[in-house]
Amino acid sequence: MDTRCFKSNIWIAMLALFVSIPIFVVASAWLLPGGELWLHFAQTLLSDLVVSTVILLLGVGFGVSVLGTMLAYLVVMVEFPGRRWLEWALFLPFAIPAYVLAFVYLGVFDYSGYAQVWMRETLGLPGFDIRSGYFAIILTFVLVFYPYVYMMARASFKRQKIHMIEAGKMLGASPIRVFWQISVPLARPAIAAGLLVTLMETLADFGVVSLFNYSTFTTAIYSAWGDFRSIEVASQLASLLVLVAFFLIYFERRARGSAKYYSTDVSHIRPYQANGLLGWLLFVFVFGVFMLSFAMPILQIIIWSVDVFDKEWGGNYVSFFVSTAILTLSASILTVTVATILALPSHCKGSSRILQVLIRLSTLGYALPGSVMAVGLMYGVQNISLVNEYFGGSSLNYLLFGSIALLLFAYVSRFMAIAYNSANASAEQIKPVYQQSARLLGASRFRLVWKVYLPMMTPGILAGAILVAVDVMKELPATYILRPFGWDTLAIRVYELSAEGLFERAAVPALMMVVFGAILMFAFNKLDSSRM
Amino acid sequence: MSTKRISLSFLAFAILAVGSNTLIQAHTDDTVTVYSSRKEHLIQPLFEQFTQDTGIEVHYLTGKGGDLIERLKLEKENTPADMFMTVDAGDLWYAGTQEIFQSVISDEIVSNIPSHLRDPEGLWTGLSVRARTIVYSTERVNPLELSSYADLADAKWRGRLCLRTSKKIYTKSLVASIIHNKGEGAAEAIVTGWVDNLAATPNAKDSHVMDAILAGQCDVGLVNTYYFGRLIEEKPDAPLSLFWANQNSTGVHVNVSGAGVTKHASNKEGAIHLLEWLTSAKAQAIYGSLNKEYPANQSVDSDKVVSAWGVFMQDDMNLSFAGILQANAVALMQRIGYK
Repeated sequence: MDTRCFKSNIWIAMLALFVSIPIFVVASAWLLPGGELWLHFAQTLLSDLVVSTVILLLGVGFGVSVLGTMLAYLVVMVEFPGRRWLEWALFLPFAIPAYVLAFVYLGVFDYSGYAQVWMRETLGLPGFDIRSGYFAIILTFVLVFYPYVYMMARASFKRQKIHMIEAGKMLGASPIRVFWQISVPLARPAIAAGLLVTLMETLADFGVVSLFNYSTFTTAIYSAWGDFRSIEVASQLASLLVLVAFFLIYFERRARGSAKYYSTDVSHIRPYQANGLLGWLLFVFVFGVFMLSFAMPILQIIIWSVDVFDKEWGGNYVSFFVSTAILTLSASILTVTVATILALPSHCKGSSRILQVLIRLSTLGYALPGSVMAVGLMYGVQNISLVNEYFGGSSLNYLLFGSIALLLFAYVSRFMAIAYNSANASAEQIKPVYQQSARLLGASRFRLVWKVYLPMMTPGILAGAILVAVDVMKELPATYILRPFGWDTLAIRVYELSAEGLFERAAVPALMMVVFGAILMFAFNKLDSSRM
Repeated sequence: MSTKRISLSFLAFAILAVGSNTLIQAHTDDTVTVYSSRKEHLIQPLFEQFTQDTGIEVHYLTGKGGDLIERLKLEKENTPADMFMTVDAGDLWYAGTQEIFQSVISDEIVSNIPSHLRDPEGLWTGLSVRARTIVYSTERVNPLELSSYADLADAKWRGRLCLRTSKKIYTKSLVASIIHNKGEGAAEAIVTGWVDNLAATPNAKDSHVMDAILAGQCDVGLVNTYYFGRLIEEKPDAPLSLFWANQNSTGVHVNVSGAGVTKHASNKEGAIHLLEWLTSAKAQAIYGSLNKEYPANQSVDSDKVVSAWGVFMQDDMNLSFAGILQANAVALMQRIGYK
């Protein structure tokens, strides 16, 4: 490796390491003893937790892959009634926080909810506890997270060369065969990216599993910390989550092999038409998903908020909006900026395996539950401050707790995965010929990046920016811990009210969050279609 | 290209946002800063009243008890917090062990608040009392069948019991009190009996427990009285009623929300003033009624809705034990498999 590569690689490595600080802090807990508590957990919870977590990951992984890919394919490749508005409507569930959706589902479908009451009274069927077993919670996660896979797969399908599909058709392949043997393999990186992000979110989730009282690995983390006051064991367990995420990424990369996926063509022609009965069946299916994952929950939230709106609405909402807006916007821009730097194609980066590992490491923050990330950061800052004091400086604690800097750092570290995967997916689709031609024509690296790479990566970057924005808006635990005085967000308001059982009042800020999220998703769609 | 311009201006905006170390509010001597795990909508009216009465401003930050304790531990002398307020005795006790509080000897507090609701060394004081007791379906249960928490483990309640999850602090504190009053062996037998009697997976919320009883999924449960109060307010005709447990033995399990002055408070006088004010009759009446809890100050009458539930004998175990025995309680529940 020549020195020029070494220099630029060092900068990128340092950036990646900087973003990974919380992971190192958490992993460093292995240096501390945990002993007795591990024994207790091993004897009581751990085997059940591991099994439940694995089943959850498998079920959710399978579910979102299948559902997200199918929906994306239908919406891009098949003309059926209602396709146009359903295409972007399917983005909308992303604007609803997972715990809000779970709460609505329980409210409607559990033993005392409308659906079962009707079932018992009208049909005479016995009731049942939907929280027991695996089906209901897996289905809930699938309905919450399929948009990740849907968005990624859809973007990928849209860029697929129409000719490949036409060729398949001409050679006599059935639509299913074309789907399975042409479209899906081409979209695999995108599907895998969406799947990865979903699994990490599932691992880190706390809200949904609490509502279902479904114990996962994260449950042990919170118990170790909250009950047994052992931040060491809590961190050790959390680092295991990160390890799982790391393996997931590793397997995905290995399975992909060295195949390269290039494409720039964007097709507007839909290769398949579904008319008549089939068309309407498809509509019912897609619309059904939309109903379950967005329309029904939104309706419930609106019904709840209408009655109590006057009681809940107040002057402090201005500050909620401002805090939410500033945090969301800043975090989003910071995260995609770093992600873009890390994702830019470069032969220097490509030749260094270590660098690629470091970059992947920086995306693992997504698997850390928000509270763990936040406390990890606080301890990290504490340690840096101690070092600073040792060398004669003053304590850094107060400064960093008093501003939003630490919180923004937490967001960047936590949401790097989405931004990076999105930018990287775009970057990987850039054919090497562009770089080669630019070089031949004498363009400097800067010009190459500014004039060629960035414009071509823009769809991925923007997609990442909007996804990060929505995720930051919904984020709760890290925000709750790290925010300075007076920086309550809408998500915090939802939490505080619902934690005290004031669910109807909580519907008001929840509704606002969904409206903002929907606006962001609408913007996403507009940007998306204008570039295509 | 306009996209570039937009991106550049956004970037500049982001840098500005980060660079602006905003909102470290000017600390005048007259400001008391509170870290509170009691939620914003419950403390804001109270602090507003304090400011009206005394002219002293209160700045507060809400958060989860455990997280705020971590933050206080890391901030050490640099903490802006003068007072730390929580909603559970377990957190209060733990904060005491982590040297978050400083001891406050105040005659006013001692005379206002009974000793079993205060830390023996004056580190914290309880401010409101929440009772956790039996709730039952008036259609399917005869109150004569009910007696104690332990009785709910009896086989006659098989498939008829709904309980809140073991992960919630209220459950942990209740089990801790049972361990304290009856010993760990007896507590283990009782909790095992509870789990055998469950009609469904333990619920995430008390309101879900009551919904389940109303829907017929179970017949009895355990709830905090104020959740019951809220439900009855919405549905006055609901066939649901409270039963005061353990009236022939140790009394109903209670827990407190409370507060203490932080060790490194920069406005110690202000914090003590606020704490004393919070234990005064006027504040106690507001504090309790905001959430339909019982005032810790026994000379203050409860809110009308609350008094309508009747009087009962409280468990007078010192609430520090809720914290001391919390780990034991959780370990016990995890061993038995009470989710």
